[in-house]
Amino acid sequence: MNNSALVIGGGIAGIQAALDIGDAGFKVYLVEKEPSVGGRMSQLDKTFPTLDCSACILTPKMVDVSRHPNIELLTYSEVTDVQDAAGEFRVTVKRKPRYVDVTKCTGCGSCAEACRLKGRVVDTFNAEIGKRSAIYVPFPQAVPLKYTVDPTKCLFLTRGVCGKTFLCKDACKADAIDFNMKESFVDLNVGAIIVATGFDPFNAALKPELGYGTYPNVISSLQFERLSSASGPTAGRIVLNGKEPQEVVFVQCVGSRDQTTGNLYCSRVCCMITAKHAHLVKDRIHDARVTVFYADIRAFGKGFEEFYDRVRAEGVNYRRGYVSEIFKRGEKLVVRSEDTLLGQPVEVTADLVVLSNGLVPRPETDPIAKLLNLAKSADGFLAEAHPKMRPVDTTTDGVFLAGCVQGPKDIPDTVAHAKAAASAAIVRLRSHG
Amino acid sequence: MKQRIGVYVCHCGLNIAATVDVAAARELARLMPGVVVARDYTYMCSDPGQALIINDIKEQGLTHVVVASCSPRMHEPTFRAAIQKAGLNPYCLEMANIREQCAWVHQDRDRATAKAIDLIASAVAKVAWLVPLQEREVGVTQAALVVGGGVAGMHAALDIANAGFQVYLVEKQPYLGGRAAQLNTTFPTLESVSDLLKPLMKDVVTHPKIRVLTNADVEKVDGYVGNFRATVRERPRYVDATKCTACGKCVEVCPVTVPNAFDANLTTRRAIYRAPDGTFVVDERACTFVQDRVCPADPRCESVCPENAIDLAQPAQSHEFGVGTIIVATGAAVFDATKKPELGFGAYANVITSLQFERLANAAGPTGGKIVVNGKEPKEVVFIQCVGSRDQTTGNVYCSRICCMVNAKQAHIIKEKLPDAKVTVMYADVRAFGKGHEEFYDRVRKEGVRYRRGYVSEVYRKGDRIVVRAEDTLIQKPIELEADLVVLGVGLTPRPETDAIADLLSLPRSGDGFLLEIHPKLRPVETAVDGVFLAGACQGPKDIVDTIAQARAAAASAFAPLCRGKVKVESATAVVNEELCAGCGLCVAACAYGAPAINPRTGTARVNAVLCKGCGACAMACPSKAIQLMQFTPRQIISQVAVLA
Repeated sequence: MNNSALVIGGGIAGIQAALDIGDAGFKVYLVEKEPSVGGRMSQLDKTFPTLDCSACILTPKMVDVSRHPNIELLTYSEVTDVQDAAGEFRVTVKRKPRYVDVTKCTGCGSCAEACRLKGRVVDTFNAEIGKRSAIYVPFPQAVPLKYTVDPTKCLFLTRGVCGKTFLCKDACKADAIDFNMKESFVDLNVGAIIVATGFDPFNAALKPELGYGTYPNVISSLQFERLSSASGPTAGRIVLNGKEPQEVVFVQCVGSRDQTTGNLYCSRVCCMITAKHAHLVKDRIHDARVTVFYADIRAFGKGFEEFYDRVRAEGVNYRRGYVSEIFKRGEKLVVRSEDTLLGQPVEVTADLVVLSNGLVPRPETDPIAKLLNLAKSADGFLAEAHPKMRPVDTTTDGVFLAGCVQGPKDIPDTVAHAKAAASAAIVRLRSHG
Repeated sequence: MKQRIGVYVCHCGLNIAATVDVAAARELARLMPGVVVARDYTYMCSDPGQALIINDIKEQGLTHVVVASCSPRMHEPTFRAAIQKAGLNPYCLEMANIREQCAWVHQDRDRATAKAIDLIASAVAKVAWLVPLQEREVGVTQAALVVGGGVAGMHAALDIANAGFQVYLVEKQPYLGGRAAQLNTTFPTLESVSDLLKPLMKDVVTHPKIRVLTNADVEKVDGYVGNFRATVRERPRYVDATKCTACGKCVEVCPVTVPNAFDANLTTRRAIYRAPDGTFVVDERACTFVQDRVCPADPRCESVCPENAIDLAQPAQSHEFGVGTIIVATGAAVFDATKKPELGFGAYANVITSLQFERLANAAGPTGGKIVVNGKEPKEVVFIQCVGSRDQTTGNVYCSRICCMVNAKQAHIIKEKLPDAKVTVMYADVRAFGKGHEEFYDRVRKEGVRYRRGYVSEVYRKGDRIVVRAEDTLIQKPIELEADLVVLGVGLTPRPETDAIADLLSLPRSGDGFLLEIHPKLRPVETAVDGVFLAGACQGPKDIVDTIAQARAAAASAFAPLCRGKVKVESATAVVNEELCAGCGLCVAACAYGAPAINPRTGTARVNAVLCKGCGACAMACPSKAIQLMQFTPRQIISQVAVLA
């Protein structure tokens, strides 16, 4: 059998799986559809419960993966075909054109400075609360640190014209920008495949009663991460419309444990994310009044309960009850809820409401499941071979799951799951090799 | 000084540049002694940033490099590799941490800049004294020791063995299966645990690469990553399994009765007994003959055995194995509910723990799976959650992660076996967070199980029934519930043996008493000791599926040294100047890793460089200043400090 592995998805799960397989001496192809590895974890500010800076612990791993002699990084690429031939997989990977020659690009950023759309393109890395150029790196510590032209936004690529001259090309001293670049395809033969394609945050607009999308000061927890991040659009200052909020309300279980959205499951991470956010608000804005509306607090990991205790001791007010509606009254938002401990309806005013969205399967999970002949569980995540005994195996021999593609997980559980998938892949490569 | 030093100041985007005037820092660095070039760049760690350093080393003949950027934890390996690429020894690098220790913790730009310049000056002063060190590798014994034969240990052992490596699996009990062997069904899928365990145990026992040692303890571990030597004591079973026909005549004559821990003390057994795997074995701590050479029985078990299979004089066996890595999978204990006397456990027979309920519900348990207490089927059952978890009074502040779902499953079993029973669960928060867990919790409530939120203050007897006194926080009233059976959702605690295993392997513990992983987010199975990994509940409470993921993760970590056949070891180690060493042994006592030892021939200390972690404790302890820690010699540190004066 072929002695190499394919890892699909370059978030922390894919990175960890690739590192473990590479360290065991096998060749790994790590395919990431975005221009940089890093995944969801690169968007996070701090990690719970230790408040480590997420980028600070992640970026060394991103660098490791790019430097590893056994790992070949295929960023801005997608798996388009997989043929299962007697235990060996023939994989086709599409390499999307960056319109930037990565061998020439120095990552200096002059192109993005010059771009006609500078400051006008909605920045998805910043969860849509910032703006960037049409030529961009998703974040400053990107690996590889190479610029990419966003083909859905670039004036030339979408309309065929960008003024009299290409501002980006003119600005690039390395002559790296090439609008003639075409997509290309790479064929790989591998003996094992790890699927680590992650999750999406629940789209809170599906709960219109919560005002997300209507009121700019109702934001998602991912937007809060970018707001509080030192490398985010506000350089870590929690400000909205130029003002620091004095009253902040967190709403938990948005799109989780919720029959109305069809997501019956618990998303496993949101309670602690909210506890962390509540702490960060108290840390940055000492006088802020912080209220969390919750159903059950699920602080189950190592040091989690202790952190929940700490946050309450810091003055965060936890109130048990479902939020029925968020509306505007004068300058303020009003969160209408039931307080099930008081047994009465309550209204809490707020300058900022943070919705703790759950985790949902990515839309890309479907084509990958089809390519690899994988089953899904009722919640829409990919199904493991056995819910108790085989958490990383699938019904397709040689294909393993890592991280949130199988179901919501926090970082340490994702890392453990990814390492388990790596172990399964290593066993297969060694025993058939 | 002939040193030619290059200084590289990183902006880290705005992380540093927003608070520190990097251009000013660069200009001042240029004037520092020995510095021939100083530059600043947006991201020193990026390829073009590294290229700057590499070019300067080649073109300007640099001998030493200072990078002023983030913590060395972050990019020291990056820059060491970069200068090595240019032909310098990787240890001729010093990092000035002007991000975490300066830019991120200060607001005043002028003062932060001044501090950054001090940190750079200090690094420049030190780097001039750094000497090249050799990178070293040691060979790896391609075998693994797995301590603990539960679900975690068995899964780790299978992965390692399936990859072709020899595994020694050591289990303290006379049988494999661990805690899971006591359980009835799984949540939320309600499968028989023994049906799931049987094929797993068979795979382990029949695997040609796994040597299973049950009834055995790891007594001693020497060595270091790649080259451990483990001494394992296999306690005598006193019964020859090849002769024993499992007739049970021995048990009939045995006069010693002890609580049966496997049945969570719901039943008793004899000193000689049938273990859960069907084999017969003598519990040597219970058997009076083994202990004191006396036994009141006549005839004794030895003589009633028709096959002559029993030998109470059987000696223990000692084994020694060389292994490259060790996986600790020693599991967790169940909270002792007598520590909460207000809940009546131990006082009332119909107050039981959730583990006892598992045995009660188990078809292979003492009641054959019938839920009967005091000979009667209970009509009203109350479950109490968080017993010994999330509880300041017991000192166990943490959540035990599994009890909510264990209770939900048990409540379901009651409703299934006794459909008319009234079942109430008293809870604080229901933590149904795994795949399918919330759905199961919904199902159990639909089946008529009543969840009431509130802490239970007291359980007491009223006639032949018990009363659970609690607060219902949703109706804000104190309530009293009558019950025939109360099941305590006991939490998980570190096993008492954790102390011994932590001592044996020099493993640190976390605040909750479980074994400590080296990084809570990104390195959940690695420990502070290279080559030793954690699997399962010894690291913290976990359900079966998370335990298996972690066990296989531990196997993945073990694969790196096992597959490569060699490991890199720390180069900046302690070195003894034998001329100065008086052989007092204080360094031996100071070292947490067992690296220094007194050479009996010379009477002086020697540091085993492979064991040395470079912590410097020995150098501090040495009264003769005979020990120096490479990269941190007195000269290097004094130079570093002196410029700040």
